Amino acid sequence: MAERGLHVTCSEVVELVTEYLERALPAEEATRFEEHLNFCDGCIVYVEQIRATVGTVGRLHEDDVPPHAKEQLMAAFRDWRRSP
Amino acid sequence: MTHARTQPSIDTRAADEAELLARLRDGDERAFEMLVDRHYGTMLAVARGYVKSRAVAEEVVQEAWLGVLKGLDRFEGRSSLRTWIIRIVANIAQTRGAREARSVPLSSLAPEGEEAAVDPDRFRGRDDAFPGHWRAYPSDWRALPEHALLGRETLALVMAAVSELPPAQRQVIVLRDISGLSSEEVCEALDISGGNQRVLLHRARSRVRSALEAHVDG
Amino acid sequence: MIAYKFLRADGGSVFTGFAWPLPPAGPGAWVEAPLDPCRSGIHACRPGDLPYWAGRVLYEIELDGEVREEPRKVLATRGRLVRRVSAWDELRDAYTRMCADRAHELVAAADPAFAHWDSVVEPSLPEGPALLGFVAARIAEEIEGRAAAYEAERARQAEWLTERLGLGAQL
Repeated sequence: MAERGLHVTCSEVVELVTEYLERALPAEEATRFEEHLNFCDGCIVYVEQIRATVGTVGRLHEDDVPPHAKEQLMAAFRDWRRSP
Repeated sequence: MTHARTQPSIDTRAADEAELLARLRDGDERAFEMLVDRHYGTMLAVARGYVKSRAVAEEVVQEAWLGVLKGLDRFEGRSSLRTWIIRIVANIAQTRGAREARSVPLSSLAPEGEEAAVDPDRFRGRDDAFPGHWRAYPSDWRALPEHALLGRETLALVMAAVSELPPAQRQVIVLRDISGLSSEEVCEALDISGGNQRVLLHRARSRVRSALEAHVDG
Repeated sequence: MIAYKFLRADGGSVFTGFAWPLPPAGPGAWVEAPLDPCRSGIHACRPGDLPYWAGRVLYEIELDGEVREEPRKVLATRGRLVRRVSAWDELRDAYTRMCADRAHELVAAADPAFAHWDSVVEPSLPEGPALLGFVAARIAEEIEGRAAAYEAERARQAEWLTERLGLGAQL
C-alpha cells in the first residue's frame, strides 16, 4: 500500500491484481483497489489483460496419457483386481 | 497440451467421483481407464513441478498410480478423489525431486525473493508528479479483433510461456487455470499455504501476460 | 435507504458487469445479493462518496435488507434502481472542468516546486470526471503534504455535486 495508506498506485495494482481477482484482499484494500480502477483506464486495461491471459491459458489442455503408459496401467489394474 | 475441456460443476464432480469409486472397487476396467484419462495430465503437471525431466515425471506418475491402486480400498473420501490422487503424486515427486536436487545445477533452481509483475520503468518515478502511475497505458486487448487471442500462434506462444515458467509457478498455474482446481484444492494437494499459492499464481500469470503482451503488441 | 449508484453507459455494473434492471417508468426490479465476508452484496454511494465513484450514468437506488455503511460506500443485500439522475448527464463535463480548474488553481498558488504536477491536468480531460476528481484531490494532498487535504478536496467535490444534482440526503 502507498505510504499514507490512502491510495493504491498503478505499480501496486499490478502486484495486487491476483489477490483482488481471488477475492483475498481485505475489504478496505479491495475498496481502494476499486476506487483506483474507477478512474484509471490504464489499470482497467491491465486487469483485463490478466483476465484475458487466464482465459487463454485455460484453453490449453493437460497432456494425454502416452499409450505405452496406459497399457502398463491397465495391466496394473488387472493385477490389483485379481489380488486378494 | 492441446485444447481445453470445460470444467464440470463441483456437485457433478462429486457425484461422478462417488460413482467412479464404486465401479473401481467393483473392478470395472472402464472406470479405471476413465480415472486415468481424467487425472493423468494433472498428475504429470504436478510431478513436473518437482522433477527435472518429463521422462522422470512420467515414471513418477506411473509409481503414483500404483499408490492409488494400493490405497483405493482404504480411501475414505475425506478429500476429493482428485485431491487425494494429487497428494500421492506430489509426495512421490517431491521425494524423487529431493534426491535429484544433488545433481541439479544451481542455475535451474527457481530464484526466490522479489519478482516484479511489470518493469518498474513503466511507472512514473519518485520525483515525478503522480509517482507510481503508468507512464503510458498498456493496450486495450478488448479492442482487438475477436480471433486475435484465439489463434494457433497465440496458443503456441502461451503454451511455450507456461512451459518455461519456474517449476513451482508452472505447477500452480496449470492446476488452477488449466486443470481448474480451486485454490483450496491446490493448497491441500500441494500442502502449501494460501498465501504461497497466491504468490506463485500471481508470478506465473504476470509472466505469461508479459509474454502475451510482447506477442500482441508486437 | 436511498443512495446512489454509478453504472456504465449500458447499465452494467462497473466492476462486475452485472446488468441492472433499469427503471424506464417507475423503479426497476429488486436485486438480491448476499453480503459475505468477501464484501460482495450491492454497492452504493452516499452523496459524500460520489466523487470517488464518478462514472458514466448515475441512478438513485433504494437499498433494503441488511445495510452496512463503510467509509466510502454502502453495502446492502437488496437494492433497486429508482430513477436515473439525468442532471448528472448535463453536469458531468462541468464537474470535470471544475476539477481541472481547481487543480490549476492549486498548483498556481503553490511553491514552483509543484509546477510539474499541473502537466497531467489538461491531457487527462478526455478520461473524465473520475480521473480529474482524483487529480485535483491528489494535487491538494501533495501540496499540503497530508492526507486530510485529499479528503477535504473530495468533500468540496461532493458538496459541489450534491448542490447541483439536487440530491435530498445530507452529506
